[in-house]
Amino acid sequence: MTAIQKHFFPALVVAALLLLPTRALPQAPSASPPAQQNQPVAPATSENARDVLTRVRPAVIQIKGFFGGNTAQAFHGTGFAVAEGGVFMTNYHVVAQQVQFPDKYRLEYRTTDGKTGLVAVLAVDARHDLAVVRAMDYAPAPLKLVPVTPVKGERAYSIGFPLDVGLTITEGVSNGRVEDSFDPRIHYSGAINGGMSGGPALNAAGDVIGVNVSGYRFEQLVSFLVPAEHAQTLLVRASQAKSRGNIRNDVTAQLRAHATELLGGLKGEILTQPTAGYRLPAKIAPFIDCNAAGDPSPQQPVQMVRISCAAKAGLYVQQGLYSGDLKYSHFVLTTDKLDAWRFANRLSELASATGAYGSRRHVGPFSCENRNVRLKGFDASVMVCVRGYRKLEGLYDFTVRVSSLNGSKRGFASHLDMYGLEFDAGMAFIKRYAEAMEFTP
Amino acid sequence: MSAETVLVEILGGHGRVQTRERIVLGSEQRAFTIGRSVEADFTLDDAYAAPLHARVEVLPDGKLLASDLGSVNGIVFAGKTHKSASALAIPDSTLQIGRTHLRIRTAHENLAPEKPDQMRPASILHDPAWIAGAGALIGGMQLAYTSWLGAPRDLATVIVTTLISGVLAAGAWVAFWALLSRVMQGEWRWLRHAAIFLGIAAVFVAIDGLLELGWFVFSLPHWGTRAAWVGAVAFGCALYLHLMHASNLSTRRAALIALIVPALSGGTGQWVQARYQMRDVNHIATSVRIYPPSLRLRPAGTAEDYFRGTAALRDAADKTRKSLRADDDDDESADDE
Repeated sequence: MTAIQKHFFPALVVAALLLLPTRALPQAPSASPPAQQNQPVAPATSENARDVLTRVRPAVIQIKGFFGGNTAQAFHGTGFAVAEGGVFMTNYHVVAQQVQFPDKYRLEYRTTDGKTGLVAVLAVDARHDLAVVRAMDYAPAPLKLVPVTPVKGERAYSIGFPLDVGLTITEGVSNGRVEDSFDPRIHYSGAINGGMSGGPALNAAGDVIGVNVSGYRFEQLVSFLVPAEHAQTLLVRASQAKSRGNIRNDVTAQLRAHATELLGGLKGEILTQPTAGYRLPAKIAPFIDCNAAGDPSPQQPVQMVRISCAAKAGLYVQQGLYSGDLKYSHFVLTTDKLDAWRFANRLSELASATGAYGSRRHVGPFSCENRNVRLKGFDASVMVCVRGYRKLEGLYDFTVRVSSLNGSKRGFASHLDMYGLEFDAGMAFIKRYAEAMEFTP
Repeated sequence: MSAETVLVEILGGHGRVQTRERIVLGSEQRAFTIGRSVEADFTLDDAYAAPLHARVEVLPDGKLLASDLGSVNGIVFAGKTHKSASALAIPDSTLQIGRTHLRIRTAHENLAPEKPDQMRPASILHDPAWIAGAGALIGGMQLAYTSWLGAPRDLATVIVTTLISGVLAAGAWVAFWALLSRVMQGEWRWLRHAAIFLGIAAVFVAIDGLLELGWFVFSLPHWGTRAAWVGAVAFGCALYLHLMHASNLSTRRAALIALIVPALSGGTGQWVQARYQMRDVNHIATSVRIYPPSLRLRPAGTAEDYFRGTAALRDAADKTRKSLRADDDDDESADDE
């Protein structure tokens, strides 16, 4: 089960690059060698990096969060000026704790010259992990947003405050839009490390092509940017808004919209793939990643093929809480060695639900319904478990197990787990998911 | 008038006779004395009795009259302490001198008729060794079955862990009841308690297995508390039989205890489990058990019916979510990060 979870949560795969001291510091040794490798690429371009950095230096600030009245920081990220009057862009996940707990956290900025002051959140876009903030008494000239996806191979720079070691520029290459991703992202082949979140990614002209957002923690130089067009959209929305309103409610509404968008993306026919006589949901949308694996050894008493699919659409809401995601796995078993009783026992072990992910701080306990149900060409045991989010009213987690009951030599157990979706839409998808399954001997 | 014999019995803590002494009364002297000295007709070893404590007169019709011979502590009978009693009737033939309980039996006592023995000497029930053996055999078969189901994986582990933990638990349980028997009845009765434990365990493990299989065979909706119910009934049955063999409790009292204790422990267990589930939001108690398809006798319901039923899950989830206290969120979130 741990393998499935590891596969799933952005906290483990795509490190959200907000720097929380407790978890980000240990990665420093593994993260720094690639950054050093980057420097001796070509002497000529390093001069260019210096020019870019000199130009944008005043517009980039470090954003720090403090818990209560503490003077030691709780987390930090980066921001950059996008409009006159001290309006800065950063990531939602940099300011999320303050948005969710405004009485507990305060935000401050620190310029490269050492000037400090308070920061207020003006508007957020949790869907694209962006936030617009205002820095008190600091209004440098804004950087220019270029809402055009850079072509593959174009030189790019990323700026921020990684690991709290001071203003840093890294040099890399834009690899265009990430194909088939639910989240619109630009693939940047360059180092982005914890603390650079919310910093600008620039083209050679020094204009903003995206906002630093994440990188793979254990891979090298595979990093992601939020395209500048989303920053522009949010900026327009923030400037048009009459009053700030309740930003936390905005986030909840955005999470619901994201959940609707996710299930909307799965509206079409549920494509299935054949395995051992069963047709089971496969890659049912372009943004869903599937992989299949099996044990090639013929000695095993039971041969298992595992097909795992994940949307990787989860949004960071606050520390330890992600919402709006979906994954499913099919464990297809066949045997020519085991009798029906022992084979059924193997299937039972895979049919039960263990190890969901969540904290009591955010969700309630599961309620389940388990029944034998007639599906296309076969009977199956179907179990649906649901739990509600405590503060994000109207969002639910679903854990589903569908297990075949018709074969004594072959069978499958299918696991579908959905996080942070609306009840009716989620249940409708589960029904379509189960009804798409078919037995064709 | 001819000589008459009486029996004086010293009773133990649970009403059992510890010693018995025969006293022959003279035809004229129809009385005897009780006390600590050798001069007493019935000598007690009791520091709270006087050297010559009491005198008991036996009337021709068997009635007993007690007289105090000047003791400090008096004579206790019929629930009262009588000081300086003089020829007082003892209604139920038992009295207490000092701290010693005595029963006086005369030829006039009403003896209960002989009980007919319902058990034939050859009956299996008469011989607990058979039941214990059969129970152990069924337990062993159960172990063999579960090991075989999981085979070829983990065979040795399953056998060793189940065997050791099972033998330890059964041993402790039987030892407890044997000790109680020894205290209350003066006999260990090892075999009988082993037979009760093993017999009940075998019967109810089989019942639980059959119920689980039946639920699968007839496609019945999940019964989450099945094991708890079966366990509580088994516990009640075992408790009743153990109590009847280890204590002097009446049938009714033993039955009452056998009803109340499992109900309480079962209820407590369910409560604790519910609390635990409220704490561990990732726990899913419902498990799925699959058997060979050829056993199924009743077809499954339609998907339409099933998903009509799942609409109720929203209310259930909302209810448990809201029942978590608002301030109840200082938790294990540290391990999520």
